[in-house]
Amino acid sequence: MGLFDRLFGRRVQLEPDLAGQLEAWRGRAEADLSADFDATRYVVVDVETTGLDLARDRLIAIGACAVENGEVVMADSFEIVLRQDRISAKDNILIHGIGGEAQREGLEPAEALLRFLDFLGKSPLVAFHVTFDQTMIKRAVKEYLGFEFKHPWVDLAYVMPGLLPQFAKRYRALDDWSNYFEISNFARHSALADALATAQLFLCALPLARDKQSSCYRNLQDLEKAQRWINWTG
Amino acid sequence: MPAPNSLILATAEHLSRFAPFDSMAREHLIWLAERLKLAYYGKNEVLLSPEHGDVKRLYIIKQGAVQVEQGDSGNAWLELHEGESFPLGALLGGRVAISTFTALTDVFTYELSADEFRELLRLSPVFQDFCTRRIAALLERSQRSVQARYAATTAEQQSLRSPLSSIARRKPVTCRPETPLREALDTIQENRISAIVVVEDGDRPVGVFSVRDLISRVILPATDLATPMREVMTPNPVSLPSNAHAFEAAMLMARHGFRHVLVADGGRLTGVISEKDLFSLQRVGVTQISATLRSAMDLDTLVRASEDIRQLGHNMMAQGVAAEQLTQILSTLNDLLTQRVIELECSATKDCRYAFCWLAFGSEGRLEQTLSTDQDNGLIFTVPEGETPDQVRACLLPLAERINRALDACGFPLCKGEIMAMNPKWCLSLDEWKTCFARWIDSGDPESLLNASIFFDFRPLLGQEKLAEELQTWLLAKTVATPRFLHQMAANALRNRPPLGLVRDFVVDGEGDQANTLDLKLNGTTPFVDAARVFALATGVAATGTAPRLRGAAPKLNIPESEVEAWLSSFFFIQMLRLNGQHEEMQAGKAMDNRIDPEELNDLDRRILKESFRQARKVQARLALDYKV
Repeated sequence: MGLFDRLFGRRVQLEPDLAGQLEAWRGRAEADLSADFDATRYVVVDVETTGLDLARDRLIAIGACAVENGEVVMADSFEIVLRQDRISAKDNILIHGIGGEAQREGLEPAEALLRFLDFLGKSPLVAFHVTFDQTMIKRAVKEYLGFEFKHPWVDLAYVMPGLLPQFAKRYRALDDWSNYFEISNFARHSALADALATAQLFLCALPLARDKQSSCYRNLQDLEKAQRWINWTG
Repeated sequence: MPAPNSLILATAEHLSRFAPFDSMAREHLIWLAERLKLAYYGKNEVLLSPEHGDVKRLYIIKQGAVQVEQGDSGNAWLELHEGESFPLGALLGGRVAISTFTALTDVFTYELSADEFRELLRLSPVFQDFCTRRIAALLERSQRSVQARYAATTAEQQSLRSPLSSIARRKPVTCRPETPLREALDTIQENRISAIVVVEDGDRPVGVFSVRDLISRVILPATDLATPMREVMTPNPVSLPSNAHAFEAAMLMARHGFRHVLVADGGRLTGVISEKDLFSLQRVGVTQISATLRSAMDLDTLVRASEDIRQLGHNMMAQGVAAEQLTQILSTLNDLLTQRVIELECSATKDCRYAFCWLAFGSEGRLEQTLSTDQDNGLIFTVPEGETPDQVRACLLPLAERINRALDACGFPLCKGEIMAMNPKWCLSLDEWKTCFARWIDSGDPESLLNASIFFDFRPLLGQEKLAEELQTWLLAKTVATPRFLHQMAANALRNRPPLGLVRDFVVDGEGDQANTLDLKLNGTTPFVDAARVFALATGVAATGTAPRLRGAAPKLNIPESEVEAWLSSFFFIQMLRLNGQHEEMQAGKAMDNRIDPEELNDLDRRILKESFRQARKVQARLALDYKV
């Protein structure tokens, strides 16, 4: 992508059937963020990228699983590798374990992203350190599907300290909270495995939230906002 | 269906580390993983309890620990861990859970809906096998019929299904064949262990020495402590591979009376399993209850403890404890309870100056009580110089009646046939008992024979045990010397034939609600019990239990050990079915009896039951042969 495209965006020409899929997704009904936890499907997401630079690094893989009725529905899970024209560096491969061949054999990015959107539907998103996942997905969607991906997100990195303030100072990373709840991870730094660990953390968060009279996604968003405020002032 | 994603694969892989998933076909595991939901329970949260109604899901622990309590008694008896599933019994029976399952830590569980659970039963024979008869696979692998006794268990708890590698946590303590005895004993002492393994070439086990061997091999023969271990050890120790299941070790122990089983892979020692490791769970319950019994100061406490005993019996059923152990544990606890009842009543009686002994008859006398049992007891007493038996009896009967009524309150209903110590007929002096027994032996009429089959299984429970021993010695001398009586007992026993049919598997009887059922006590266990009694009375074996009687009498009658063990495994298998039936009847809130509908058994249990009845006929054939009936 040239500097011009980068600055002004470019018009993406999608194959008709992909364009049709995208229209169908955009037309789906928005989720009710005030509905009770048990009445909503949430999608917990994690991404793997070529590095940690939000501006330059590219999205390699998306892992996601659905939480419904306060449970992870194992079969309602998703993982996809986006085809890379340029294979990421070796030290990067060592982190997520998606090798060069797998990167080359990934799905064409537009199609991969559409499949993700199809899995996601309009379910509200949950992640740990949302900024990263959100930025990466947003940029890829913009680049390959040509639109602004605006979607509700909740960040457990802020929600958890809000629910368990006594650990706010000590616990920062997903691993900290996973250790606290003894959540095992079948393959750390695989997008789907991390998404599952995050989803388990989300399950742990739900009863704690209910204890604080929070019963819907919007309450969690409010809690997150308040926590960001505390962090900012604190 | 698209190829399973890494989450499904990882879940299947995780499950495959635990039984029964470890032996399930991969496609079925994937099928299962694709249908699981992952749920979270905070510490102390209740996952499942009887109040939740019919069980809607199978729970498989992904991580964390779950505590199992009896009903809502708050009495924890079991902990479940990663990879364990529950509640199998309730799911199979389509009923509510018996126990309350509470998260001890943060717990994540994989959950499968009841419908899908049933679908999986149909799909996967391995899973079905595991759920319906957890030991069946083993039974089929090995034809040894002793294992049949375990086959009928459906259980919630799977500690006996765990691989030995997960139980043998301690590093085995070893010495070498040339190690002097003194040094080995020092090692045993330092490590506070009960057995040491003798190894060659670093870790090849060649023998075992346990502290139980001390008396017979060291102390009594005054063995020199410089003797090398090679000479005092038990050579050729039995070992199991670390992937063998705990129940295999339990069976080895039960079968051979071992207290320790070695764990070895490729001839290399990796661990030692002691009896305590295997039965620690049950022991907790047993010890607690027996402590309560011993210290009970009033009847109310004993009544509560009696409920605990019954509950323990059901729990042990659910855990798949073998019938032989289960009936013995129940009888032992019931003994303790009865003893405490007697002690309390005696201390409440101002002057009980007569020496007496409380006797247990029937199944209690044989240490073969099931979950439903009424009273069969009596008194034997001495008559002081210058007094008459009637005087003593007059003094003891009110005490006996209080004891009988207290036992009734503890859940042992008064005997309909009035075989109880409060009945003047069964509160007798030593001489009166002898007279009574002699009359039965000499007359041999049907009533006498019936009485003999109940009273001759007597066992002292509390008091002057010498009185009972004297009666026992006298009785055996009398029966051994009275072949006519033995012949009549044998003929009587043979009137009761095991219900094997020529056309169908079983001959069933009963009417109304009991149509098409058969009586496991009358037709199943009684032939073994009756035959064992005749053999014991004929050979002067003092034991009262069916197993010790048969094992004791067999050498004297030249019955091969293998034959006796086949009889006993059949006997215990039928006992297990009885217990199972009573267990299920209690769960269903029905009156407990000994009847089952063979159609309701699974194929393997039916096959084993059939085989067991055949064994019962063999015992009878032997009896018929010996007594030419």
